[in-house]
Amino acid sequence: MTKRGIRDRTVAGLAGLISGLVYAASMGAQSTNAPAFGLLGVELAGVGGVVHVLLSPLSGFGFAALVRYTPSGHAASISAGILYGLLLWILGPLTLGSLWQGTLPEWSISTASSAFPSLVGHLIFGALTGLGFTLLAALHRWGLPRRHEADEADPVQTRVVVLGGGFGGVGVAQRLSQRFARDPSVEVTLVSASNHLLFTPMLAEVASSSLEAQHVSVPIRAAAPRAVVRHAEAEAIDTAAGEVRIRSTDHGPEERLSYDHLVLALGAVPKYFNMADVERQAFSLKTLSDAVALRRHMIATLEMADTEPDAAERDRLLRVVVAGGGFAGAETVAELFDLAHSVLRYYPRIDPDDLHFVLVHAGERILPELSETLADDALKTLRGRGIDVRLHRRVSGANPTSVHLNDGTELASRTLVWSAGNRPNPLLRHVNAERDDAGAVVCDESLRVQGTSNVWAVGDCAQIPDPAHPGEACPPTAQHAARQAVTAADNVAATLQGRDERMKPYAYQSKGMIVVLGHHTAVAEVGNVRFSGLLAWLFWRAVYLAKLPGLEKKLRVFVDWTLDLFFPRDIVLADTTRSTRQAATPSAATSEGSRAEESGSTSGEHGAALEDPP
Amino acid sequence: MTTVRLMATSVAQGAVAGLAGGLAFGAAMIELGMLASVAALAQADSLLVGFLVHTAIAAGIGAGFGLLICYHRPTTGETLYWGLIYGVLWWFLGPLTLMPLWGAGELTWSIEAAQGALPSLFGHLGYGIVTALAFVLIRHEAPQQTIPGIRGPVIRGGLAGLIAVWISGSALTAQGKLGSLSAGLLVDALGSAWPLVLLIGLMGGIGYARLHAQPREGGGVGTVRGALFGFVLWGLVTLTLVPVLGGDGLAWTLADARAAFPALIGYLVFGALLGLLHHWLTGLTRFFLANDVPDPHEEGLGTSALRAFGRGGWAGLWGGLLFTVVMWQTGVLPDVAGLVGSLSRVTGFVVHLVIAILIGASYGVLFRGRSYDRGSALGWGMSYGVVWWMLGALTLMPIFLGSTPDWSAERAAQLASSLVGHLAYGAALGLTFYAREARHNPWWMPRSEVEARRVQFRKQQVLTSAPALWTLMIILALVLPILLSEAAIRP
Repeated sequence: MTKRGIRDRTVAGLAGLISGLVYAASMGAQSTNAPAFGLLGVELAGVGGVVHVLLSPLSGFGFAALVRYTPSGHAASISAGILYGLLLWILGPLTLGSLWQGTLPEWSISTASSAFPSLVGHLIFGALTGLGFTLLAALHRWGLPRRHEADEADPVQTRVVVLGGGFGGVGVAQRLSQRFARDPSVEVTLVSASNHLLFTPMLAEVASSSLEAQHVSVPIRAAAPRAVVRHAEAEAIDTAAGEVRIRSTDHGPEERLSYDHLVLALGAVPKYFNMADVERQAFSLKTLSDAVALRRHMIATLEMADTEPDAAERDRLLRVVVAGGGFAGAETVAELFDLAHSVLRYYPRIDPDDLHFVLVHAGERILPELSETLADDALKTLRGRGIDVRLHRRVSGANPTSVHLNDGTELASRTLVWSAGNRPNPLLRHVNAERDDAGAVVCDESLRVQGTSNVWAVGDCAQIPDPAHPGEACPPTAQHAARQAVTAADNVAATLQGRDERMKPYAYQSKGMIVVLGHHTAVAEVGNVRFSGLLAWLFWRAVYLAKLPGLEKKLRVFVDWTLDLFFPRDIVLADTTRSTRQAATPSAATSEGSRAEESGSTSGEHGAALEDPP
Repeated sequence: MTTVRLMATSVAQGAVAGLAGGLAFGAAMIELGMLASVAALAQADSLLVGFLVHTAIAAGIGAGFGLLICYHRPTTGETLYWGLIYGVLWWFLGPLTLMPLWGAGELTWSIEAAQGALPSLFGHLGYGIVTALAFVLIRHEAPQQTIPGIRGPVIRGGLAGLIAVWISGSALTAQGKLGSLSAGLLVDALGSAWPLVLLIGLMGGIGYARLHAQPREGGGVGTVRGALFGFVLWGLVTLTLVPVLGGDGLAWTLADARAAFPALIGYLVFGALLGLLHHWLTGLTRFFLANDVPDPHEEGLGTSALRAFGRGGWAGLWGGLLFTVVMWQTGVLPDVAGLVGSLSRVTGFVVHLVIAILIGASYGVLFRGRSYDRGSALGWGMSYGVVWWMLGALTLMPIFLGSTPDWSAERAAQLASSLVGHLAYGAALGLTFYAREARHNPWWMPRSEVEARRVQFRKQQVLTSAPALWTLMIILALVLPILLSEAAIRP
């Protein structure tokens, strides 16, 4: 309890005692011969008198639990005291009193009026307690003003730093800051390169122009109002010194944040298997700006292709290659296919047959997370649409005009989307702890990083034992990240409070998976139930709309979707750069480091990281 | 000004104001023949001595009033309610406690003594009002907000007053007691009580709007404050002005007050509706006409009101569960089931919970951001419970069950258990809602200096009349049915 709380309870107890004595004395001065009743309806004769005197400081404590001392608020304190007295009267003589006598209370007017003397007593008791409370507290403050102020100077004693603004990081910051919102000695800082929490499952729809970019993300400041939000890149982690180094802008000064507890939620970054050319040429789909850039590129290529006289160049412009047939890849290729076909009416010179969409997948079947029958269903759906799915193939290289596969094929294309591999954020190499082959930190089931006492990790950057499959690690999905955040926050809180017995192991089992395959089609696997088609598509929309954080964004997405049913997709390019060749050449200048933070824990329920390496 | 200086000034100002209040009260005492008992305090028979003693006490108590509210906003609308509760408190302390103790050496807190001292209660209320008004007049600080013009309050207050009095009057008409609102004045001459009742509503509405011109404190505060404004009107119009104008003298006795009980409920309902409607009308006017910068504390109506709606519903569920204990015990669940044409306890329970959740949700919207500690949460919640005791148990319930509402003191006394239930509901509702609100964003722990200044207004609520409002509301609800019903007197 804070010093202030102790003071409030002490003075309130004292005030209650004094008022209780006054109450007992006035009951003693009553003229009638009827039995006199004290606080809560105890009879004042004999033992009852002692009980009454014991009850009065207790009642004072109760008052202190209700009312906060405010300087110059004495009238309010008396007023609240009266209210409190009346409450005690209802609780005591009217309720407990009858129970004490062995009858059930009936709160009738006759009991109330026979307890009227005690109503007056309680009312005056309350008024006096309120007055005494405010006077004594003022007296105490007046006597010890300096010490009081010293108590309130720089209250922060414990600092928790959370790195990463994805589901994991924001979830941890949200819960922790809320748990310690009333404790000024704990400060929760969230470091994120993006100032929004991105709802990654809807990212592909942003790329395909059916959702507005801002509608699928929530400001972190709104999601975690009590956390200190630092819009900055994390540059280094020094677990030995207990600090992280961050930078707010590209050329800004480096800042050091010291921490008592560190939560890593840095997520994953695309893994290009040392193919620098692919990394340079490919679009990835991890952040909001990735999605916006991809949408812009898609529309810009259509704009060019419409009037392009050179047949070879047209072919390159109209071929889209997506690498990786996991959730993200399958959804992306389907969405881009829909985008192109639904806006063709504006480009009269493009024949729909000239559009080519290629999905390159290294494994035996796409969507390896799903059961075989469903994955086959999905494959049939995609191929049925006219999407060229190439299995057992990998992208082995790329240049601005073509994509090379490992079987020697060269696909003429200006558009390559990469979703064929993720790896944990490279920033983790600074963490002085055990890491697995991929580079993820290894956690125990309480989500603490093994080999450390004050570093925790959640989401895609951590290897966490999967409660559903002993011996395996949790798949890198948003479902898991969000639940891990709750467990990690609770465990950090338990550690901060020194109550290790309250630590709990991570126990969440994935509910199922749904993948949407473009126009009115999806495949879903929930528990043992598998279904596909329109029903699964509606189910996908319902589930993800419900999961989207914040009512406002739900409404906006709902409106976007509804309008989409009646109106064509928007092909407006807000960025009017005219050099279309550049548009066709994605600037992959973003380095690992700067990408790392932004992505957060974003692989989402796509489960993109599950794919085999190409 | 230093603290000591401020206090000294306030004591002096309060004493003068108390003198004014004492004179008004004294005049009423002469009318009622009560001065002799005061004179007896000084062991004298002379009425003059009695009057002097009375005014001296009044000045002393007024000084205490000045001291208590020396830090408060000295506006009429705020100080009025502090004056009222101060008067009520001194009714308990004076005629019921200190005076008999001083005179006879013993005291009686019995209900008979309280009923006998009822005229004095109205006297104390009048004393509180006059003292408060005089205090404001003497202090005469420059108003912090611009004084509103005449047109706005007349239009908004008048409109709200007319609508509110029409609703409340209709409920009284159904009981054949419309005349009680105007104490039967001029009913024969005009052929109906409505003209005078509408005039009272119009004038009351305008008066309320003048007193509380810029309500920025949420519709809930307006509802509770309006109800108390209605209570003042009851005392002023029904018990004082109309009888005096009619030549009958003050109608402050137990029998008078008992007969005027339907009008009391009528005025309370009128006032509650008036406060709420006026708040809405002012908000609408501001929305369309004023060039306001958005309030930085609000996250937008969609976010804050919907969130409050959900939280309120959740809090209402808990309040409803607590209320169920009372309902089960008193066996009224089948009556509630009657609302949907059933007699089963289970149906009654479900209907009751649905109502509890809906009313809780409305509490959330009306009272969001008003509670600054658990005490204030209890206060607002219980006040809202009282409002719904009047609106629900006394009025809507009978209407929905196909009969007419009965606003007599007897009916109110029969519904005492329901009042306790509503209070318990309100207490749980207020506390739960406050806990939810505080958990999400404990505003009293500001995140920065800037925000600390921003939330200052909320802290200063203890300096508004809010604590007086809710405490008055609960005292009235608990004490008046006990004092005014015949059933209350023990055989």
